[in-house]
Amino acid sequence: MDWILFLELAANGAVTGLLYAMVAISIVLIFKSSAVPNLAQGALVMVGAYAVLAFSDWLGLPMWLAIPAAMVFMFGLGIGIERHALRRLAGQPIIMILMMTLGLDIFLRGITLAAFGGSARRMDLGISDDPLFVGQILMSRVHLTGAAVALMVFAALVLFFRTRRGIRLRAISNDYVASWSVGIGVEQGVALSWALAAVISTIAGVFWGAVQGVDQSLSLLLLKSLTVAVLGGLDSLPGAIVAGILLGVLESVVSGYLDPLVGGGSRELVVAVTLILTVLIRPHGLFGDRSVERI
Amino acid sequence: MTTASAEPLLSLRNVEVVYDNVSLAVSGVSLDVPEGQLIALLGANGAGKSTTLRSISGLLQAARGKVTRGEIRYAGQLVNTLSPQDRVKLGIVQVLEGRHVFEQLTTNENLEAACPVEMSRAEMRSALDRAYTFFPRLAERRNATSGYLSGGEQQMLAIARALMTRPRMLMLDEPSLGLSPMLTTEIFSIIRRINREEGISVLLVEQNAFAALDLVSHGYLIESGRVVMHDTATAMKNNPDIQEFYLGGHGVNFRDIKHYRRRKRWLT
Repeated sequence: MDWILFLELAANGAVTGLLYAMVAISIVLIFKSSAVPNLAQGALVMVGAYAVLAFSDWLGLPMWLAIPAAMVFMFGLGIGIERHALRRLAGQPIIMILMMTLGLDIFLRGITLAAFGGSARRMDLGISDDPLFVGQILMSRVHLTGAAVALMVFAALVLFFRTRRGIRLRAISNDYVASWSVGIGVEQGVALSWALAAVISTIAGVFWGAVQGVDQSLSLLLLKSLTVAVLGGLDSLPGAIVAGILLGVLESVVSGYLDPLVGGGSRELVVAVTLILTVLIRPHGLFGDRSVERI
Repeated sequence: MTTASAEPLLSLRNVEVVYDNVSLAVSGVSLDVPEGQLIALLGANGAGKSTTLRSISGLLQAARGKVTRGEIRYAGQLVNTLSPQDRVKLGIVQVLEGRHVFEQLTTNENLEAACPVEMSRAEMRSALDRAYTFFPRLAERRNATSGYLSGGEQQMLAIARALMTRPRMLMLDEPSLGLSPMLTTEIFSIIRRINREEGISVLLVEQNAFAALDLVSHGYLIESGRVVMHDTATAMKNNPDIQEFYLGGHGVNFRDIKHYRRRKRWLT
């Protein structure tokens, strides 16, 4: 067995997995606060990436300004979506809420297609494309940077959840009737979680845009990140990180060995099998709260 | 605050509550909670006690219920349509039936979560200290995940958490539920202390009429969504109907219930 190849596949899989995890974290944030599985999460990543491009290409801002500007814009968009689309559905059956997020997904894809066209655009972060050798392993600089940022986002969230505002958000996700009973602004908390998810989506959009270009296919990240979120347990942030690395490694290693045999395409298969097996065998995921199943 | 003594802190007039636009849960409840008093709302399962509390705290909205008639006045202000959050700001807080602690949070985090947003760090610390002096048992377990606390400790936490909102009126929904008589006595004596030392008015909902009537000055008896009796605690304890059916005197048999039903109709 070629250990260098195996390690290379695993290491690259792990960093890619952390990039999935960044999107999965957004899904988890929204699910935790409001029990809404956000099917528009992939579209939010795409819109975030387009927002960065809009600020840099249309307004001529340098990248280091365009990214924070896009994050501010997405913060507002997240609040707006919750306020005008989701809040009205409070108390409706979950299927209606799912349909709403699906509708948002189609809407966001449609509106970006109209505004930016269908051709892929470059997202230039100024990170060199030159290969980087870690020992004998070949790695991508963009992926590595993105993985580091994903871990930083996770750390920032862990710290945030210890602040008073963060504690209130956890209280809401724990029991919203009790939250109401002690005067916690449940609606504002849910809006904040949407805003945070949209901001994190922007960061994910920046790195995924740099990896594969900015076009409609960014919204397909939903499938992989949803798998990561479900595998980690829909309501667990550490679960999203662990599951992200796990799925990334699995996908990369399995397809690395299988693709030459079957002629490609086994990547998607790994993701699909993981999702199906998780739902069948362990619906609350690796770290999820068992009681979540009730929802 | 001289006017407050004349007018009750809370008054309900002919409040009617409907769930899901169809089922009438409370029909015409009137009651008063004078400032600084301990009042009990008694009744059997499904009589409408919890619904009445929820209409006051605004939590009906979460249960798809609505106040369709009547007035809820608090400190002279009509609060019928205020959000639960606004009512907490005014000083109305409800401790939910079945405790409802934030199970994944620690004891301390449960209390911090209930702090008003505008409270400063120093104020929060003194509020925490005050809550812990009422419930020393919680202080010992301040860093424990609250889901793992015992039932009695969770009940104490739910009350302590409500205190963090700096209420003027505390409403408790079945605080004795599932607790041993000893724990019930302990919690009731703490409620009495909170009422005396903090001057917080208390509206207590109980099925355990025996324990409740020892604590409060006045009581209301509610049945099928209507108030059927209102009197001092002493008078209620001596009332033969209450003795038989709520305090559990002799064994209850069918004929007695029928006889009681007839009499109740006459009462209403």
